[in-house]
Amino acid sequence: MPTVIQIVFGLISALIIGAAMMVVLARNVIHAALWLIACFFGVGALYLLLEAEFLAVVQVLIYVGAISILILFAIMLTRELEGARQLARGWRLWLGGAICALLFAGVLVPTLAGHPWNVPPPLGPAGTPEVVIGAADLGRGFVFQYLLQFQVAGVLLTVALIGAIVIAYEERGRRRRVLTLAEEHELRKRQEPATAEPPAGD
Amino acid sequence: MTMQIQRGKVVTVERGARGQRVPGAGLLASMAVVWKHWQGSFRKNDSFEKIHGTFTMEYPEERPRLPEAFRNMPILLYDEASGHELCTSCFQCQRICPPQVIHMSQAKDPVTGKALPALTEFVIEYDACMSCGLCAEICPFDAIKMDHAFELATSDHAGLTLHREQLNRPISYYEGIAPTMWAEVKDSAFKKLQGNIKRRPDVIGMAPNLAEKIAARRRELPPAEVVPAPSVSVAPPEAAKDDWSAKDVTGVWSAKDAKPGEGRESSAAAEAPPVAGAPAAPLDDKAARLAAIKAKNAAKKAAEAQGE
Amino acid sequence: MYDIVDALLNRTFGLGWPGWSVALIGHLFVASLLFVVAPFQMLFFTYYERRAIARMQDRVGPNRVGPEGIWQPLADGVKLFTKEDIVPDVADKWVHLIAPCVVVAPTMFMFAVLPWGPGMVPVNLSVGLLFFFAIASVTTVGLMMAGWASNNKFALLGAMRAVAQMVSYEIPAVLSLLAIVMLTGTLSVVELIAYQGGLFIASADMPGLPDLGLGWIVFTPVGLLAFLVFFVAALAEGERTPFDIPEADSEIVAGYMTEYSGMKFGLFYLAQYLLNFLLCAMAAVVFFGGWQGPGVGWLYAQAISPANPDGSGVFNVLAGVLGVFYMLAKTYGLFFVMIWVRGSFPRLRVDQLMDFGWKFLIPLTLVNVLSAALWVALTRWGPEQGITFTAGWSPLLRWGAAFVATGAVNIGAYLALGRVYATAQAGRGRVDVDELELVTTTR
Repeated sequence: MPTVIQIVFGLISALIIGAAMMVVLARNVIHAALWLIACFFGVGALYLLLEAEFLAVVQVLIYVGAISILILFAIMLTRELEGARQLARGWRLWLGGAICALLFAGVLVPTLAGHPWNVPPPLGPAGTPEVVIGAADLGRGFVFQYLLQFQVAGVLLTVALIGAIVIAYEERGRRRRVLTLAEEHELRKRQEPATAEPPAGD
Repeated sequence: MTMQIQRGKVVTVERGARGQRVPGAGLLASMAVVWKHWQGSFRKNDSFEKIHGTFTMEYPEERPRLPEAFRNMPILLYDEASGHELCTSCFQCQRICPPQVIHMSQAKDPVTGKALPALTEFVIEYDACMSCGLCAEICPFDAIKMDHAFELATSDHAGLTLHREQLNRPISYYEGIAPTMWAEVKDSAFKKLQGNIKRRPDVIGMAPNLAEKIAARRRELPPAEVVPAPSVSVAPPEAAKDDWSAKDVTGVWSAKDAKPGEGRESSAAAEAPPVAGAPAAPLDDKAARLAAIKAKNAAKKAAEAQGE
Repeated sequence: MYDIVDALLNRTFGLGWPGWSVALIGHLFVASLLFVVAPFQMLFFTYYERRAIARMQDRVGPNRVGPEGIWQPLADGVKLFTKEDIVPDVADKWVHLIAPCVVVAPTMFMFAVLPWGPGMVPVNLSVGLLFFFAIASVTTVGLMMAGWASNNKFALLGAMRAVAQMVSYEIPAVLSLLAIVMLTGTLSVVELIAYQGGLFIASADMPGLPDLGLGWIVFTPVGLLAFLVFFVAALAEGERTPFDIPEADSEIVAGYMTEYSGMKFGLFYLAQYLLNFLLCAMAAVVFFGGWQGPGVGWLYAQAISPANPDGSGVFNVLAGVLGVFYMLAKTYGLFFVMIWVRGSFPRLRVDQLMDFGWKFLIPLTLVNVLSAALWVALTRWGPEQGITFTAGWSPLLRWGAAFVATGAVNIGAYLALGRVYATAQAGRGRVDVDELELVTTTR
């Protein structure tokens, strides 16, 4: 990899890892959510570095544009997070941290060690430079090869949408409200049909 | 549908029938109305009857056309022809002014000490004046009128206390800003002014800024009418002149009443020195008339006193 | 830009700088240019809006500060700069500070994919259109931050309403563009403009037409409906009347911007006008051909370009100038329509706003997608995709059939959906008397 790309990769990775650390270390939950958004941006930048433009754009559109809002709304609407959390202290903190680090290393180290790095990029037919996958190819994949998965994902999203509407729906009868004059009049007319109406049109 | 409730009638309008036309046609109609306004606004609107055109008056290049009865801040009027102010210092405007911003002092005859229908000083505090116009309404001589001046903003607060010289305006100015209103009161105002001019000796009551007119009037008056130095004492004894203690005032009046003959003599004698030189015919005449009136009153009092 | 910088540095001055530095310098230069151009556009837009809306309201607008008031935006800028910056004591200091930046920065990002003239686009992304809307959706995070950090219940409510509005109206905007993408087969903005040569019919659909740059997409039924929906959705995205509930001064003070003063408020203001400029520009690009117009294509053909290395440099400049002129003329014209709409209509209530977006615009865009598919099938598909009945037709006949078919579908759908929506909205006011009894007797 050329040096410039290595430097850029290093910077982006530093952003991602730093932001991720701040997510867990920040005291204020809203700040943690904002650091998460920064992390998402970093991942989008990584995708751009990998020349997956469509994926980068979709990452920003979905994660930063929609899922972050969802996270923020969820935090703001469940606002019982003031006060000291039950943080582990002293030897419990160190023991817990050591166990987590060991487990993580147990997964990470064999993966890093056993993976073939520095694989040359794939060549297209007759030794031409690699073919960059674009949106068109992704689209063809969705519609031809991975059609079932695509449709299932669509059904899942529709179900979620309908579920949200069902949860938020209010029965009209359960709503109490102040009646407008017209509605009161209607009601009175219904309940006392014998009462003569005042002459209209004067 | 009309409904009777406690406070009156409520009329309901059914709006449901409008959904039959093309959806969005109403929106386009509103946009068409606004387009016409946009097109029409490139001309100036000069009459409130029309609805198109710009209503903006670009001050200060364009001035507002103020109605005659617009009132902002009072001014004093003087007649350019004779040079005399219309104000007689009758105190009516000072009495009626709600925020009490008018202050004046009346001129005194230097010879007799009587009040003259003229001003020596007139002050209006413009910063507190609320332009209610009551002073102009009540003035019996049409001497104080409401001006149209509204561009009075200043950073000099003390400069907002205006004196007579700054408040004076010629009648032609007022005639220019409120012709109809002036025409209604013109005749009576001039008639009263002539009457007042007769009662004002010398140049008292002329607008101070008209220097030439004052000089000309002085020249045309008989020299006897020229007001001597104001230090000449008149009927009341010298000692009591500036001393306003009750005793002395009473002393003055008692002196007049108790010794009518002596008073008359002393007043007659006092009149003689000021008119050194030329025979002051009108002044003497007036003084003589005054003395005659005093004598008559004194005689009447004496007669009553004797009669008891 | 790369070529120009390369020629300048490496050939004129003989410096042998590597390719990446040349690219970096080129991009930095373009970015700086945009950072200068964008605020000036915004300043001009504030002045333009104030004068135009004043005329619609039978008054003159600001005309004192310079000749006809052109320095007025500068005066506003000076005023905002010199105002005291007030931050509430209990506000979240850092989030309050960063929120305006998070709102303005994506708006500047969006300039990267906007072509100003032939060959004048900062970054030629192959997914430019999608990038545009992806970045636009990041501003909602900034709104949320602004509303939260103010520690003000009403600012928070305003922010939530603003976010709901922007998120809801992104959907009709993107779906209407989806129909256009189907028509043209590309997400790239530059190719979208190149498609719109020709004379009322795009050159791609009918190869024989003279290229007067007037083959705009808005002249097709699919394009017209997509334009109308996109324009309304752009009004809502840019928080303009009648969708300006988030900043309705008479109702919620300034919504999420309540606790902001001075230059921070100026940044929100800048972001709003820039977003409106960009949405007008994107509408001009997608529907009205961008820099396409009579003469530009011909001038560019005479100029130096990868296709014509023997061209003359003068034509490059001329083509560029004419292209930018057309682009700006269309953008300003569309902004005038935005101002016109602002002057004509009252504000929508927030529930009316949401209803309009979800229950009217989205079904309309879905029908438009169907129309677009119909159009593509009739004009472009042949026996290999399964359409055999158009086998022997001339391009004109295919175009005509597609025009008529999509026109019928779109008009029918608009009228039908419009009527359904209108009756639904009217029915919300009326209350069934049985329900009324239920409501009042079960207290």
